[in-house]
Amino acid sequence: MPCGLFFETYQKDESIFPTLWLRVWMIALGIGLLVFPFVAQPISDWMGMNTLNMVNLIFIYIVGAHGLNLLTGYTGQISLGHGAFMGVGAYTAGILANMGWPFWLALPMAGFMSAAVGMIFGIPSLRLRGLYLAIATLAAQFILDYAMRNWSSLTGGSSGLLVPSASIGDFTFDSDFKFYFLALAIAILATLYLKNITRTRTGRAFVAVRDRYLSAEVIGVNLFKYRIMSFGISSFMVGISGGLWAYYITIISDEHFTMWLSVQYLAMIIVGGLGSVLGSIYGVVFMVALPELLRLPAEALTNVYPDIFVIFSSLREMVFGVIVIIFLIFEPDGLAARWHTVRAYWKLWPFSY
Amino acid sequence: MQRKLLVTALAVALCLAFTPMAMAKDIKVGGIFDITGPTGAVGKDYAAGAVAGEKYWNQKSVLGGDMLKLIPNDYAYKIPEAVNLYKKYKDVDRVFVIQGWGTGDTNALRPLVNKDKIVFFSASYDGNLTDPKKNPYNFFIGTSYSTAIRLAMTYAKDMGAKKVVFIYPDHPYGKNPIPAGKDYAKKLGLQIGPDEIVNLRAIDATSQLLNMKKFDPDFAWIGGTTPSTAVIIKDAAKHGLRTKFMINCWGFDENLSRLAGKAAEGRAFGMLPVAPFGANVPGMKDVVASAGGKPYTLHYVKSWVSMMVMVEGLKKAKAAGKLNGPGLRAALETLKDFNTGGLCAPITYTSTDHRPNTTMAIGGIKDGKIYLVKDVNFPRQKAYIGW
Repeated sequence: MPCGLFFETYQKDESIFPTLWLRVWMIALGIGLLVFPFVAQPISDWMGMNTLNMVNLIFIYIVGAHGLNLLTGYTGQISLGHGAFMGVGAYTAGILANMGWPFWLALPMAGFMSAAVGMIFGIPSLRLRGLYLAIATLAAQFILDYAMRNWSSLTGGSSGLLVPSASIGDFTFDSDFKFYFLALAIAILATLYLKNITRTRTGRAFVAVRDRYLSAEVIGVNLFKYRIMSFGISSFMVGISGGLWAYYITIISDEHFTMWLSVQYLAMIIVGGLGSVLGSIYGVVFMVALPELLRLPAEALTNVYPDIFVIFSSLREMVFGVIVIIFLIFEPDGLAARWHTVRAYWKLWPFSY
Repeated sequence: MQRKLLVTALAVALCLAFTPMAMAKDIKVGGIFDITGPTGAVGKDYAAGAVAGEKYWNQKSVLGGDMLKLIPNDYAYKIPEAVNLYKKYKDVDRVFVIQGWGTGDTNALRPLVNKDKIVFFSASYDGNLTDPKKNPYNFFIGTSYSTAIRLAMTYAKDMGAKKVVFIYPDHPYGKNPIPAGKDYAKKLGLQIGPDEIVNLRAIDATSQLLNMKKFDPDFAWIGGTTPSTAVIIKDAAKHGLRTKFMINCWGFDENLSRLAGKAAEGRAFGMLPVAPFGANVPGMKDVVASAGGKPYTLHYVKSWVSMMVMVEGLKKAKAAGKLNGPGLRAALETLKDFNTGGLCAPITYTSTDHRPNTTMAIGGIKDGKIYLVKDVNFPRQKAYIGW
């Protein structure tokens, strides 16, 4: 019996779930995810928070976080415009839905529209890197934000835009329960897509661009092509996420797609782990669930001391900020790295060396 | 087998542990307030008033043993966050009445509220919420913004104004009453200058005011909240404008004179749907007592009245044996000249008109204090339901 993992063929080395136990755990996770919506109501009642709604939002953001992770984590191009790109997707889906387009067509269009916009604003990435690219994409954020707010004949301006529920055929995803399966399917698709693209020639080119763009160019990677492609794919995913979001919340308003959302996306992938598929998932779970969980002590304390509710709800934001800082100090490589450490520890326990 | 027994035992224990909670009769009320967002400056007092109101009505135990349980949460003036909170209140807390806040989110929630039959008290007095044909479950207690802006135009006309300008933030709260104001100003024969946008978090309004100075209006409408209103008024004084300002109800309170100082005196006039905090009216004694010595603003009074009207509705709904959304709605629609102890004008809702009243006061500032300029009343006309 081998005392470790030995891959004897390249296929084995490249497989997504290399070990038996991993496959077992993945199946368990899959069953758990399928069962969850049926038991969500008692869980929500017990916890005093809407867990189904939270998990739906997590799925939606996972799609977008994967997109940004592809761009920032794998290709090494920073973007502070992804909040706005998500908005472009949301508004595209919303406007098309109001024009009577079916959901299955409007959602991909949201992705393509965002991809187009993202590629345009990605052009400076050929010349600019690091902080300079951050500022260039920040400009995209402000331009799009301004357009969403002021092009009111199209976007409804600050009053927002109502979106009908998603429907395929006669089936309407008009409740959190029904939407869960849609969001889950798309989140799984996005995860598999990201996992797979990183194992292709394109994915390796992205990593080469990130690690040393000069060497990459020398060995024949077309920098312009791959940087724009990365912006395109990344914006496509974040646009899909925006489209889903629009169909889920059923009202879009510009104030959601501000710079704060762009920063939040960056925070998700940094807290989770840059350049890691699992990282974006952990990051999203952390960033979406923590503020909701912090609401619980606030509500409990409000029952006891109703007068300090006003103070406590401001405190929630501060506690959230402090927790993020602590995480970055003690786990700069993200939650995905911490997960690996924990797993490695238990693998050899109690005989680790 | 043993495990099965254990699980059953655990389940039974859990059920037992939670039964008393289910037995206690709580009437849960969802609370959507803005503490940390752009309207937090006025939202804080509003939330505090609602919380104090809950305590007060519970101590008086007006609902025959049933206790109000307000679940206040901050949504930072973000519409999607309000939708999230709404879903929580609906699915987890299973409320049938919500105390909400802003114009944007109240309007965004209208379709959901109507579908789920949840009575929604808003702090937005937006005129288009008053048509029960479209929004049967939306209620509020103050004179509607549209009525306020019409009354402001009438007052301006009475004071001999010829030219008016509208200043407002680019938010549904600022924008929604403007068409009503312009329509009525035209009817009165007032000349309307170009609109100016001053945002809720503005710290400077010089360019807008210099622009306005060219048109030199006699009166200007401000549809913002207190901090941005103070900025406008201070800058107007600095640049020597002779314009007087009519201010919507969230931009004029006890803090305005603190923020704007002498500039507010003789220049700022507020449309007041409720009496200022500590005013000499019979209902105010309990309000001030509940504040525990803290100097709140009139926004505290607004939410207090909102809770008072809700409690009155709940009382009637309970008497009718229909303690649910449609029952509360029906009960509220029977309110006729409901006396709030002088905190605001008597409130009447009918099944065809959700305008609570059409009477309000115009307030000014003298020596740092709010004084009553005039009580004004707009005839309750059918033509103005819903806008």
